Amino acid sequence: MERGSIEREIHIDARPEVVYEVVSRPEHLREWWPDEAELEPTPGGTGVITFGDRTSPDAHVVPVTVVEADPPRRFSFRWVYDRAEAATPANSLLVVFELIPSGAGTLLRFSETGFREKGWEAAVLEEQYREHVSGWDHFLPRLVTYVARLVSTP
Amino acid sequence: MNATVDDELWTAVGDPTRRRMLDLLLTGGGTATTLSEHLPITRQAVAKHLGVLHRVGLVHVTPYGRERRYEVDEAQLARAVAQLTSVGTAWDARLQRIKRLAEAIQRNQED
Repeated sequence: MERGSIEREIHIDARPEVVYEVVSRPEHLREWWPDEAELEPTPGGTGVITFGDRTSPDAHVVPVTVVEADPPRRFSFRWVYDRAEAATPANSLLVVFELIPSGAGTLLRFSETGFREKGWEAAVLEEQYREHVSGWDHFLPRLVTYVARLVSTP
Repeated sequence: MNATVDDELWTAVGDPTRRRMLDLLLTGGGTATTLSEHLPITRQAVAKHLGVLHRVGLVHVTPYGRERRYEVDEAQLARAVAQLTSVGTAWDARLQRIKRLAEAIQRNQED
C-alpha cells in the first residue's frame, strides 16, 4: 500500500454499468455520501458537495473536480481544496473508483490519495501512532476518557 | 465524520519533526532549549515549529524563567487522531452504501 493513501476493495452484486452510475451521478452520490451533490460527471466537470443543511451556516460546502470519467471502468475526482483555487495534485485529495467485472457483479477498487502532498501524511502519522509506543501509550488512555466525555455530553 | 477535516491541524501534525516534538513533549513538556537537545535542528527552528503547534492548539504555553514551557493539549491531539482514524471508517461506510444502492438498482432492473 502506498503511504498516504486509503485503499479498499469491495465486491458488489451488480453490473459495472450500474455501479458506475451509483459512484458518478449526483442523484446517487447524495444517497451514499453527502446531503447534496451538484456535479457534472465528465472529465474537468466541477461541482460542489454539501454536508449538512445548505441553508444552515454550519453546512460544509466542498468543491469537486472530475478527473476521469470512463464508464463503466473508472471514475475519479479531486476534492478538499480551496474553492478559490483550481484542483491540483498539490492542493487536493484524489478519489479513484476502478470497476472490474467479476462474475455477474463488480469488484470495486477504491483509493483516496494525496495526504502527503497536502502535508497531512495521515498514513505516516498512523505509523508513528503505532511505533512511538511510549509517547502514545501515555496519551491513549486519555483519548478513551476524552471520547467517553464527548459521548456523554449532550 | 464528514469533510470537516481541519486542514491546519493536519498540516501541523503532517510534519515529521513536529510529530517527534509532540512525542518528546508527551513525556512531560519542555522548552525550545530542552527540545533542541533531542533534535537535529536549531533552537530557533524548534521555536518556529512550536509556534505552528501552538496556533492549532496542540500545545499550551506557560512562562518558565526566561523561557516558555510547552505541554501537549491532549484533547486537541485526541481530536487529530480521531479524525485520522475516522477518514478510513467513513469511506468503509460509504462503500457499503454504494454496494446496497447498486445491488438494489440491479435487482429492480431484473424484476
